[in-house]
Amino acid sequence: MAIEVRHVSKTFTKFAALRDVSLRVKDGELIALLGPSGSGKTTLLRIIAGLDTPDPDTASVVMVDGDDISQRSLSDRRVGFVFQHYALFRHMTVFENVAFGLRVRPRRHRLAEPLLRKRVNDLLELIQLTRWSSHFPTQLSGGQRQRVALARALAIEPSVLLLDEPFGALDAKVRQELRRWLRTLHQRIPVTSVLVTHDQEEALEVADRVVIMNNGRIEQQGTPDEVFHHPVSEFVLTFLGNVNLFHGRNEGKVFARPHELDIDREILDPAGVPAKIVRIQSAGPVVKVELVGEDGETIAVELTHERHRELGIRTEDRVFVRLKKALAEIY
Amino acid sequence: MSEHKAGSTESPWLRRGLIGISVSFLALLILMPIAAVFTEALRKGVGFYLQSITDPLALAALRLTLLTAAVTLAANLVFGLAASWLIAKFDFPGRSLLLSLIDLPFAVSPVISGLIFILLFGANGWFGPALTARGIQIVFATPGVILATVFVTFPFIARELIPLMQEQGTEEEEAAILLGANGWQTFRRVTLPNIRWALVYGVVLANARAMGEFGAVSVVSGHIRGRTNTLPLHIEILYNEYNFAAAFAVASLLAFLALVTLAAKTALEWRIRAEQKQLTEEL
Repeated sequence: MAIEVRHVSKTFTKFAALRDVSLRVKDGELIALLGPSGSGKTTLLRIIAGLDTPDPDTASVVMVDGDDISQRSLSDRRVGFVFQHYALFRHMTVFENVAFGLRVRPRRHRLAEPLLRKRVNDLLELIQLTRWSSHFPTQLSGGQRQRVALARALAIEPSVLLLDEPFGALDAKVRQELRRWLRTLHQRIPVTSVLVTHDQEEALEVADRVVIMNNGRIEQQGTPDEVFHHPVSEFVLTFLGNVNLFHGRNEGKVFARPHELDIDREILDPAGVPAKIVRIQSAGPVVKVELVGEDGETIAVELTHERHRELGIRTEDRVFVRLKKALAEIY
Repeated sequence: MSEHKAGSTESPWLRRGLIGISVSFLALLILMPIAAVFTEALRKGVGFYLQSITDPLALAALRLTLLTAAVTLAANLVFGLAASWLIAKFDFPGRSLLLSLIDLPFAVSPVISGLIFILLFGANGWFGPALTARGIQIVFATPGVILATVFVTFPFIARELIPLMQEQGTEEEEAAILLGANGWQTFRRVTLPNIRWALVYGVVLANARAMGEFGAVSVVSGHIRGRTNTLPLHIEILYNEYNFAAAFAVASLLAFLALVTLAAKTALEWRIRAEQKQLTEEL
């Protein structure tokens, strides 16, 4: 179901966490709220969940599927929420954790035990933890716990699914797996989802749409392609990935990402910048070359392995860095 | 029991020396006095001992002590839970003031705690005359004894719970509420199971103190035999009347109650350890 947030601000004792934020999430969409810590993304998520209330303002509205959520009690909203540190019920088994939302329903809406067990077992199968159903959260790995947290949130058939840095506490490999798994899950169960993350790679990979936040405001929103290739501000550009800054002669600042630069042994382009190679890191899909320019600034360049072999460069070599094409020019 | 913990590299002599010091210290300061209580109690024979502890005045004191302990525990259970919940899960103005107030009974002498109630409810106290006019007596009666005991023991449960609840945070409760649980379900199914052992532990400590409290109760009780004397007060009276054997006999009864409390606490600790062991073994 669609989420609509209009003119929401939130101030914690003298600190403005959100400043007049408006946001729409379409039915069935998966969006990522991306930003550095303190940018207000978690506050916005908690306000959508109803765990925090916005500053009082007549213009401010938070609606889920056309209903003003401030008019509804927390437990009536059917919000699926996944916490960064899982927040599993530590004294309950995996099965009971997932069953919790079904067991606390008012008596007349409660499922009969066999139906409830079926629903929970189906979910355990979905998260591939059937074998672990009678274990306690402390006996599971971080990735398994987060899957239980997801199943628990899905058990109540939420109208929206909110995820607060769900993979933040996991190691790189598990993160990668869970991201892919979340993407597949969302295709199977297309519930409107909002994912909060500070990891740009995660946001670009998982979300249909990325909303970039900074200082309590939305800087830019769009598809991963749009925000990556057409950043509207220096903040978005630098936040979305490694970027090199060149001070052009007349035209002001020029930005380029490492893969948009090339290295030559001789000056082929009048705009080429002389630099010295500091470090070459060739373990990986691309060769990462770190250089220092004449005025001491660091330049990062990514080359293909073929190009690297062709150039035959080594550390300490003096070379010229050239733009394949400028990514963006600002000012 | 000779299990050597990994990482401890002290020489066996040092270890034996330390164990020796602790054991003799305990023997001198704890075991000997307890042994003395029971020996003195039985000095005039078993018959006199049984007679002393079944004396109507002794039984009345026992009854009042048990009643006081029961009411105190019930009151402090509710208060302790409410205060800890408030302090650990919410941020509100006056929070640190409430935290300090909870510690107040630890900070002031029990005699002063007793005097506070005389000042409030005594014949010349703030509310004394109004209450007397309605035929309600608090000081020098059972309500006074109970009030003083509740006051002296109220930090025990709250102090056990607050650090634990603060450490556990509020995320599990938030998760429960978002999953549709109401306030009571959240408390009953999530908060209470997470704090149950600390709660029982606090109850045990509060119980020990409630049964043994002397100072505050001494001030408010008025020492009316058979009516407002608790076991500790009864023991003092017997002792002051040079009725040593009877005093020690009743003291042994109180000591026995303390031992029961202690046994309950130890049983609880075993149970917790067994539970934790089971968890780690399964891992």
